[in-house]
Amino acid sequence: MNDFRANETQTRLRPESGELLRIDDLYTHFSTALGVVRAVDHVSFSLDRGERLGIVGESGCGKTILSRSIMGLLPRRNVLRGGSVVFGGAELTTMSLKDRRRIWGAEMAMIFQDPMTSLNPVIKIGKQLAEPLRVHLGMTKADARATVLKLLQDVGIPEPDKRLDQYAHELSGGMRQRVMIAMALACGPSVLFADEPTTALDVTVQAQILDLIERQRRERNMSTILVTHDLGVVAGHTDKIVVMYAGKIVEMASTGSLFGAMKMPYTEALFQSIPKLEQPAHTRLVTIGGRPPNLIHPPAGCRFSPRCPYATDACTTHEPPLVEASPGHWFACHHPVGSERWHEVSVRRREVA
Amino acid sequence: MSDTTVPTDDPTGDPTSNQATPGTSVTEDSAPATAKKFRRRGVVTMWLAVVWLVFLVFTAIGASWLPYVNHSCDQFADEAQCITHIDTNALLSERPPVWATFSDTTRPVVRDAAERAGLFGTDTNGFDIFSRTMFGARYSLLIGALSIVFGILIGGTLGLVAGYVGRRVDRVIDSIMNIFLAFPALLLVIFIVGFFSDSGTTEAKSRSIVPIIFALVILSIPPIARLVRANTIVYAQREFVTAARSLGARNSRIITREILPNVFPAMVTFAITGMAILIVAEGALAYLGLSVSAPNPTWGAMIFGGQSRLETAWWMSIMPSAVMFLTVLSINLLGDALTERFRIREAIG
Repeated sequence: MNDFRANETQTRLRPESGELLRIDDLYTHFSTALGVVRAVDHVSFSLDRGERLGIVGESGCGKTILSRSIMGLLPRRNVLRGGSVVFGGAELTTMSLKDRRRIWGAEMAMIFQDPMTSLNPVIKIGKQLAEPLRVHLGMTKADARATVLKLLQDVGIPEPDKRLDQYAHELSGGMRQRVMIAMALACGPSVLFADEPTTALDVTVQAQILDLIERQRRERNMSTILVTHDLGVVAGHTDKIVVMYAGKIVEMASTGSLFGAMKMPYTEALFQSIPKLEQPAHTRLVTIGGRPPNLIHPPAGCRFSPRCPYATDACTTHEPPLVEASPGHWFACHHPVGSERWHEVSVRRREVA
Repeated sequence: MSDTTVPTDDPTGDPTSNQATPGTSVTEDSAPATAKKFRRRGVVTMWLAVVWLVFLVFTAIGASWLPYVNHSCDQFADEAQCITHIDTNALLSERPPVWATFSDTTRPVVRDAAERAGLFGTDTNGFDIFSRTMFGARYSLLIGALSIVFGILIGGTLGLVAGYVGRRVDRVIDSIMNIFLAFPALLLVIFIVGFFSDSGTTEAKSRSIVPIIFALVILSIPPIARLVRANTIVYAQREFVTAARSLGARNSRIITREILPNVFPAMVTFAITGMAILIVAEGALAYLGLSVSAPNPTWGAMIFGGQSRLETAWWMSIMPSAVMFLTVLSINLLGDALTERFRIREAIG
């Protein structure tokens, strides 16, 4: 695959197929002056080698905290954590910082939302890229430089030898995100977290970056976890989707199953809020009423109930469990899409409109 | 008629565009021209400052080999010889600089008169003040530079550690810095110098350069540490530090490779201004008789020495004061220029 991966010694942690990452009952709570913020509340899912997972939800639903919790990047102070993250057979949550550092970059890497602030403004691109290579793989300066050149070529940066000696401010936003991707790919990780990788970029560049991640994933047999608020982005770039609401998983299914037969009203609402091409011009965008819930005092029962058009009294008292609708398709709702209550309310809503 | 109306009518559109073109070109030319002029003025003063500092540094280093004369008793085998020299050359005592022209009822001075000597005049002992000032540059610059270097090494390290590690470490370091900042600076320095000097002798002869530097380092640590700490806290929260962590960088590596390069410019520019302050502080110490021992000239000591003769021999105080003023001004100008030069370009836009 890549010549520098031959140097890898830790092959034990990276099965070439099958389950790579298992998250079980993971929670991350922050204790703040106002109370405990349940940013990630008992989340479980798994990821196979080479699989593309999408984590979807609106701002503040815990997507970013979830991805950082999995990697173990969060500060230890004022954080209550629990559950387990098993990566290639090794438990990450109890692992020492020293061992985790060996995994960061080499086994798991992350692309950040804002390429403007994720690159050090006073260090040349080439040097920033060479750092992980020299730390993890113990490369010499010359070797690292050659590898960096190849990496920059891989991520589609023109004139890579020139870019090596440039600073971040001399590159465009899309270029910087490509550099970030090259940096994350440098040591050939088996899981790549992409935390809203295209949010800060304009639409034309978004597609290029997503395609680039996809191409690199295929070439390197990587798994990707794409964190985004945009259902449109995950549609074409994932195999499996986790929909989060208020720190919890509310629906989880393969991409086809989710878009074909979504169960959770929240997923439906997210889907409806995407502007459609076939709609006539000046159609009002469908929005989700209300605001994302307060994570310190989440609503009782189903957390989406205050904003849900189908909610009944049962929804505000009893929290729906995560149940399996069809193999691999999980959801948590008392009145899922297609149920009696759903039909009833939908008809009434259509009449009103 | 038609011939004349056509050219006048036709260019009704043209003249406006013709007028507009030179009009715009004038404004376009003048705007960068003034900007360039403004910039150049700043550059000239900066280079003047650099020339002065370079001159001073070379003089300070090479003072022993440069043809400076009769500057202190150091050149004589013993004190007795020095005193005889001073006595025999009594005529040289307190002579005004060569360029001075002034009339005074007690000491009328005329241009080209024989009783004038040297660029800066002479002091009571008949020593050349210019030579003494240049030898004094040695001590003043050395003390200023060494103090600030140690101040940066210690204060910078403390600030980086406090800002990055945070929590209890930060609280402890910050409290200590606050305690030092709470002392009146001059009293603190006098106390330290007094404590480390030979307290038995009233004569300051045994006093070396070390306690003075030590005192000034102590003086410079707290502000540097606070500045670096504040900057470190800002950069430690930046996304690129998280990015480095997510790639498995160790804390020591993050501090030295990610944060330090960002904090460094602020540190250096602050240090340069700090050096100017420390040179003045050394002058204040010397003025109080607490700096390097008497025969070795420092600027502060020279200013102090001439104070009592200010009415009759003003040059004894004024000349070293002027040199100190120019030096401190030059250092500050250089600091400003470096601030401008070092402004970090954020990767935004």
